[in-house]
Amino acid sequence: MRFSEILHLVKLNLIQNKFKVLLTSIGVVVGAATIVIVIAIGRGGKADVADQFRNLNAGALDISYEQAQGTKGFSFGTSGSPTGAGMPSFSGGNFTPPSGGDMPSFSGSSRSSKDESGRSSGGFFSGFSGMFSGLFGGGKDSKNTENITLSTEDMDDLTAFVPGLSDSTISYTTKQNIYGGNIEETESYTVAGTLSNYAELSNLSMLFGDYLSDADIENKTKVCVLGYNAAKQIFGSAEDAYDSLVYIDDRPYTVGGILAEQGTVESGISADEAIFIPYATGIKYLTGSDISPTITVIAADVNNIDTVIENVKTVLASSYPNAEFTISDAGSKMEAANKSNRTLTLMLIAMASIVFIIGGIGIMNVLFVSVKERTQEIGILKAIGGSRKDILLEFMMEACCISLIGGLIGVATSFVISPVLSSLSIRMEMSAAGALLALGFSLVTGTVFGFYPAWKASKLVPVEALSSE
Amino acid sequence: MDTEQIISMQNICKSYKMGQEELKVLKNVDFSVNKGEFTAILGPSGSGKSTLMNIIGCMDTFDSGSYSLNGIPIQQSKERELTKIRNHEIGFIFQNYHLIPTYTVMQNIIMPLLMRGENRKSAEKQCYEVVEMLGLSERLHHKPSELSGGQRQRVAIARALCSKPSLLLADEPTGALDQNSGTEVLRLFTKLHEMGNTIVMITHDLNVAKWAQRTVHIVDGEVFENIVN
Repeated sequence: MRFSEILHLVKLNLIQNKFKVLLTSIGVVVGAATIVIVIAIGRGGKADVADQFRNLNAGALDISYEQAQGTKGFSFGTSGSPTGAGMPSFSGGNFTPPSGGDMPSFSGSSRSSKDESGRSSGGFFSGFSGMFSGLFGGGKDSKNTENITLSTEDMDDLTAFVPGLSDSTISYTTKQNIYGGNIEETESYTVAGTLSNYAELSNLSMLFGDYLSDADIENKTKVCVLGYNAAKQIFGSAEDAYDSLVYIDDRPYTVGGILAEQGTVESGISADEAIFIPYATGIKYLTGSDISPTITVIAADVNNIDTVIENVKTVLASSYPNAEFTISDAGSKMEAANKSNRTLTLMLIAMASIVFIIGGIGIMNVLFVSVKERTQEIGILKAIGGSRKDILLEFMMEACCISLIGGLIGVATSFVISPVLSSLSIRMEMSAAGALLALGFSLVTGTVFGFYPAWKASKLVPVEALSSE
Repeated sequence: MDTEQIISMQNICKSYKMGQEELKVLKNVDFSVNKGEFTAILGPSGSGKSTLMNIIGCMDTFDSGSYSLNGIPIQQSKERELTKIRNHEIGFIFQNYHLIPTYTVMQNIIMPLLMRGENRKSAEKQCYEVVEMLGLSERLHHKPSELSGGQRQRVAIARALCSKPSLLLADEPTGALDQNSGTEVLRLFTKLHEMGNTIVMITHDLNVAKWAQRTVHIVDGEVFENIVN
């Protein structure tokens, strides 16, 4: 029998049993919809990760120093609270609340005998605190007992002595009281002291104006760049904010630029909410040198990141032999986030596969019933010359078509459901690949679970099949 | 072997297991049908006539003996060959019509041709020739459930004729019909016989058997009488 004729027979049978086909395919509908949605959520998660890390350069290494905790209680020279890992500290009289994980991690609130940027020149306090650190066993590492503040000199050293770097920058964050624009009472905002190349290295784009210039850094100009949300919150709109004045710690700063909206970020400064000022300006007017900056270096070749990390450690060890720096590799962070996302996606796909198996068993059961119901029909077909192959193919194709119909309905359903899920803040990226995979799964389900009933049908003895009631 | 013989059976035996007992249904049956003959196999219920028909129709196997259909040795044929023989050599007409209820008259009639691998267009063309003769032209797109018993049996006859088989094998063709419809079907058989078709008809009704050119009696699995009507 021609394959087209078998398909024609299948069509006739399916049309005759529309409702049964629909009910049979429900398992596959759910499975297919789940597959498409799971893949869409997986892709959405991946895109989320990409978005959250988009201000990170893949070759970026964040270098910070975290002082052992037990030594911090003996810090001097700060009015801020003792800080833990991941919380910025600063001097200058303003309380610093924890700012969350979106800021460069740094600690070390005590001011040691360092030059303007914090390079250690003495070590009395650090030695003192180190003694207590040793006594109380505080801190994650017995090495990190000194108060060390990374500086532009350290950054220059790294740039000069670490081969394979394409660029470097240094930044810090602090919480400051802000007023101006529509703000009636002062509000606390994250203020980031950066160099002029920070925007480029962090992939920040401007909505209005320009980012901070080298001249601003050099002259310690009171100029700032507002993050998109900060501009809206303080001035009502980005347009109104541009070229206005904002008061940071009671000093007026001209808004020289507004950043384009960046979205949520998982790593680095949350640019939308922050106010960016020249690195040196912040030190002069806001924090003094009591800061824990993060140096960011960019490896020219991302494949060479391990070597660069080793070289960075070597160069820093020559300046700070007893310190252990936290070096965070942006690529690894991205990879880890993607890996966990992949794991989640695989887990969800495994769940969807289970749904498919259950759907397939449903199809198999219905086909068994169908073979039973149509035994006489099979007998007739065999009596008039239908071969085993014809019967097998007919039932197999019926199973495949039921699955495929279920798959198509499932895919369509997923496209209907996706806006609903999106409205529940679940990021989804629907894709043709997901839909095709779901249809493929459906087809495989039909083929696998349809085979046995079809084979049983094809093996029926004509005379017995004909005489069945 | 006589080349005119369509059916040639020698010493056919068939038994079924009924629990521990073996029930002999056919006992050394010798039976032959010549080309162009209209033969009735007459016998009461349980005489083995349906088993004989199933064996003639290559739908059932036999334990011993030899059987050739249109020169093809059936006992040596495998399932695939038997399928081909059923499709090419035999046209079945059943008591309960055995039409596929979900198909239209046309689809039922052309099914053996489609099974043979013919394309739909050619099959439909052959169908038109047959249905015109059987007066079914107006009913081609109806479902069997929309037809009377006589019409359904005519559809079954059309299906059997459509593939131009060597043998028309009818199992109680009037068993489910009223007298008028039954007579109409038997007249049709006579007409088909006159047109040169070989017909074997199974029946338990002597009045029906009388329509045949020749009657073979079967009782308790034995063919013992051979009458030319």
